[in-house]
Amino acid sequence: MTAPSRTIAFTLNGRPVTAEVAPHHTLIEVLRDGFGLYGARESCGQGLCGCCTVLLDGRGVSSCLYLAVFADGAELVTVEHLAAGGELDPVQEAFIEAGAFQCGFCTPGFVLMTKQLLDEHPDPSDDQIRHYLSGNLCRCGTYPQIVEAVKLAARKRGSV
Amino acid sequence: MTPFELVEPASLGEALALLDPDDPAVRPIGGGTALMLMMKAGFFEPRRLVSLRGLGPGITGINEGADGALDIGAMVRLGQLERSPVIRRAAPVIAETLVTHSNVRVRNVATIGGNLAHGDPHMDLPPVLIALGAEVVAASPSGERRIAVENLVESYLETALGGDELITSLHIPSQRNRRAAYIKVTARSADDWPALGVAVSLAVENRAIRAPRIAIGAATETAMRLPKAEAALTGGASWRDTGREAAAEAPVIGDHHGSAAYKRVLVGVTVERALRRALAGVEIAG
Repeated sequence: MTAPSRTIAFTLNGRPVTAEVAPHHTLIEVLRDGFGLYGARESCGQGLCGCCTVLLDGRGVSSCLYLAVFADGAELVTVEHLAAGGELDPVQEAFIEAGAFQCGFCTPGFVLMTKQLLDEHPDPSDDQIRHYLSGNLCRCGTYPQIVEAVKLAARKRGSV
Repeated sequence: MTPFELVEPASLGEALALLDPDDPAVRPIGGGTALMLMMKAGFFEPRRLVSLRGLGPGITGINEGADGALDIGAMVRLGQLERSPVIRRAAPVIAETLVTHSNVRVRNVATIGGNLAHGDPHMDLPPVLIALGAEVVAASPSGERRIAVENLVESYLETALGGDELITSLHIPSQRNRRAAYIKVTARSADDWPALGVAVSLAVENRAIRAPRIAIGAATETAMRLPKAEAALTGGASWRDTGREAAAEAPVIGDHHGSAAYKRVLVGVTVERALRRALAGVEIAG
């Protein structure tokens, strides 16, 4: 059967947008194919790896497991927005300074989950860092540097 | 995923009218995290999904009654439960359980109603809610009924819900004067699907254990209580002997998280540990 598409309206990286989506389209398909935003990647496709993380109303979601129509009315942020003002976000700076990636494929997801973590816990404990990032996988194994980067980001944000 | 129709009714009555008791390809959808996995795998090809997002505050709130009982709307996100001060005070075992339930992103989206209606035996919350004596409130065109969580799931992915019936809320009786604990055993990472989950809830009066409820999940076809172990504990059995009784009683089955023989050993040890955790710092006679 062909399901009718519908128009959804949401805020994407600070600007209001609309998109024609079919009910079976996932959010990541719309972001990549409709808006050319490739920072979120579909890797495991099961919500386990975190590569497809985007922030929806300030909280991380797996955009590969999220129906695009459910984004209607939401405020969406992808990694592309973090340096929109021309300057890197403190979390991005911290990841670079701590050397918290090698290939970088998983990095947008880690950076965005770190944003949610620091919004909810500005001075996180090691346990909180591991808890929030437990759903993000780094196949290069830079976990120690990632934990350091999160602590550095917390200090950077705290001193702003 | 194959195409389907998605409808977003604005009232419960409208939602129920859009369900079809004769067509299993018509289902309600909450957050969709579990359904999406099944649809992406080609295991479920819906004709129509009825979204419950537009049903309003009656289905999204967490309310505590004067007696301490909780009513939780079916569309409450697992992350909302985890962070709720009401839940942390009135039923802290739920918040503790959610910490290792999948991951933060999934909990930001997945709903309590969907979690229960999914009927997957490898879930952390069903044994916990069974131990707490919780019931779901289910609505259908013929009215509303309450179903104890222990009777909700009938077999693998099969629930007692009719094809035109959906969960609207979860009711948890007052846990005042009761203590509870949940222990999850995983074969891989801490936030993996459980190989076994054991939940216990009990009261202590005059240094004696009263009205214990012991429930297991993930090692049996559905989450269930273990009445013989509960009776043994009430009769004064040690925690270790209660665990042995549980291991003998539970209809354990194996899966890729562990063989039945392995899980049976786990049941005995884990029931003992769950009792120890629930009763930490409490003096028991005998």
